[in-house]
Amino acid sequence: MKTIAFLLILPILTNVFILADESTPKPRSAWVMRFDLDWKVTGGLPEKALLVSLQGLANRASPQLYIIHPPDFQWEITGPLFEFYQRKHGVQFTELRSTDEALAQFKTCTKGYVIWDQAVGASLNVAFTIAGIENAVVVTSDLIPLVERHNLAQIADLRGRYTGKTDDAIYQDAYDRYWSRCAKDRIMLMGGHAGPVRMPAMADWGIREKMFFHDLSANPKHTKELALNRRLLSELEPGGYVFGWHSYAKDTEEEYTTLLSMYGLRMEGLHNLPNLSFNCQFTFTPGFKFVNQHHVACHAKLTAEPKVYISFVQSDSIGIGVWTKPGRGQLPFAWQVTMNWTEFSPAALEYFHESATPNDYFIGGLSGPGYMYPNHIPPNRFPILMARASKLMALLDEHVMEIMDNSAADGNLGNADLTKETVDRYYEAFPDVIGFINGYGPARTRDLRDTRPLISYDYYIDPRRPRPEVAADLNELIALNAKRPYFLLVHVRESNDVNSLIEITKHLDGPIEIVPLDTFLKLAASNKTYTTRYQSPTDPKHFEGFPKEEGRGN
Amino acid sequence: MTTAFRIFINIFLILLLIPSVLANPNLIGCWRFDPALSSPLDGWHKMDIIIQIQGNEVKITYNMLWRTSKVIATNTFDTTQTLDLRDFFRIEQRHMAVYPVQQGITKATAAWIDDGRTLRTEVFTPVEVSQGEVIMRITTEYRVSETGDKLTLIELHSSRTRPLVYVFKKVPTEEPQ
Repeated sequence: MKTIAFLLILPILTNVFILADESTPKPRSAWVMRFDLDWKVTGGLPEKALLVSLQGLANRASPQLYIIHPPDFQWEITGPLFEFYQRKHGVQFTELRSTDEALAQFKTCTKGYVIWDQAVGASLNVAFTIAGIENAVVVTSDLIPLVERHNLAQIADLRGRYTGKTDDAIYQDAYDRYWSRCAKDRIMLMGGHAGPVRMPAMADWGIREKMFFHDLSANPKHTKELALNRRLLSELEPGGYVFGWHSYAKDTEEEYTTLLSMYGLRMEGLHNLPNLSFNCQFTFTPGFKFVNQHHVACHAKLTAEPKVYISFVQSDSIGIGVWTKPGRGQLPFAWQVTMNWTEFSPAALEYFHESATPNDYFIGGLSGPGYMYPNHIPPNRFPILMARASKLMALLDEHVMEIMDNSAADGNLGNADLTKETVDRYYEAFPDVIGFINGYGPARTRDLRDTRPLISYDYYIDPRRPRPEVAADLNELIALNAKRPYFLLVHVRESNDVNSLIEITKHLDGPIEIVPLDTFLKLAASNKTYTTRYQSPTDPKHFEGFPKEEGRGN
Repeated sequence: MTTAFRIFINIFLILLLIPSVLANPNLIGCWRFDPALSSPLDGWHKMDIIIQIQGNEVKITYNMLWRTSKVIATNTFDTTQTLDLRDFFRIEQRHMAVYPVQQGITKATAAWIDDGRTLRTEVFTPVEVSQGEVIMRITTEYRVSETGDKLTLIELHSSRTRPLVYVFKKVPTEEPQ
């Protein structure tokens, strides 16, 4: 009898073991280093540049080297993600405590070294390009003895090669020498911090993927740099990626994003986003499926009451937001997910989903499968890009698309509106969403078609604005928008803390209800008290965009 | 000309002069925004205001800077009558979706109060919000300190219970922002 019983439960036990086996990843070894916050060109940068170049090579075949940054680094999740890899992927890390130890461990991954010129900033980017295609690490003069102790040979010496040359001349030389050997579906815009501090923490990824590194300007005043920039972008494959970030010293985020959008390309930043060379090699853990914290079904119908409905959204990609800060979960919050992390950083997405509270709701963005300005995407590229976005949103169980087009704005403020043609394209491309939201700073594009509203931010919370003033501002909007229901969509800028928002909500006047974004949009679909509006040709524009170049795919 | 008519003319001229007699000349000049002493001003890094007074007319010119965006605008008031102003300039808190209505007409009045020490302006200006166009009343007082080097601008909105207080220091007009 016992034997029969055993035989009966055997299949169940077998299944349990299979499930257990599937959910328990095989242990694997990797190494970890800890960085400090010293990125000074004359301080910590040279050694960090060497290490991230080594990381890119070490991680080329398999994930071997991970870097933890301090909690106050812009990307705050490297610590939590380190813990996640151990717990969910069974990674057993060994800590490397010096550059010397790292070179000893990974010198077989590299064929030699490239010397960059500390006096010529662009030479570091050229060195990174060479590092990718020649399997080299990048060093300054001072670090040559260190790498030579590990028997690495010199591959290139950029000292003096670019002295006195302008950046357009330097990158033209690099283009002539190396572009043909670089990846054509992606490029590394290694800008961001410039001058005495630089922060190329994303270089590992560019080196692993053999990308061309540059920080060419999109500023119309820099005609030569802009011309070469446009040539590079035009030679990328359609739908390709621009990784990194624009140079803070040369142009603006708005100018660069406008430019790449004209070519139907997508931005994935920032320049200091670390560990992609490691992160890209992990898939989701077995059995993991994205399940968003929906509050309403896609086809549900809600009826708004005569109230003020408020919804908070955190964009800027969740990794640089306030995810790990106290207070999360106490208010309904929508979080814009960088959808392409499904490809480059699945573990990070899984970590966010795993640690989500019922009040954390994920939405797609930004504008598409990557950061781009839709008013400038070529009409023939738009459906292809948005089909990709739609697929990623389905994978991520997301029902709301966040749009942002600051091409005509000046920084966070100004004209962030969408043309009617752009709005038409979104409605056509996303028939199954609950709705759209738009803006970064406040905007005034609004629409409602069938059951899908498009609502722009009525308020942008600057983290530096005193909380009593924020409450007064919100109360003023509530007073000015006197019809009920009033739908008040609020963009919460990165680094605002949730606890202070809770305090603000206690000082709001009127019949207020704070609702999750999906509920908010469903309610907004039920009673259209907002006007329909698109970007008007007479609205002030800070920047008109770039002239098109015939035959260059823009 | 009869004596009675002369008296009438004199009274009329005196009445005409009253507004400018009551005007505070210390208000005239260029004033630079002092953020440390003021309500936070979002969306502008710098603000100068230049005040000119001529008879009944008070011109207030705003010289605003946000990153590379510059705005220069002038509001003209008359202390004896209500004016209809086109393109009225309002000091915006630009993180709010409250926009001036293009070609909107703003009803504007001004008066010298507190024995001529303070200029008070009141405007009814159309603004665009997400629910459409609405009128915002803005009452502003311009008060100069006893030493004449500090201007306090107190702005009260019909839609806001908390006043906005902007403090300015006097600067030579020719000093560039």
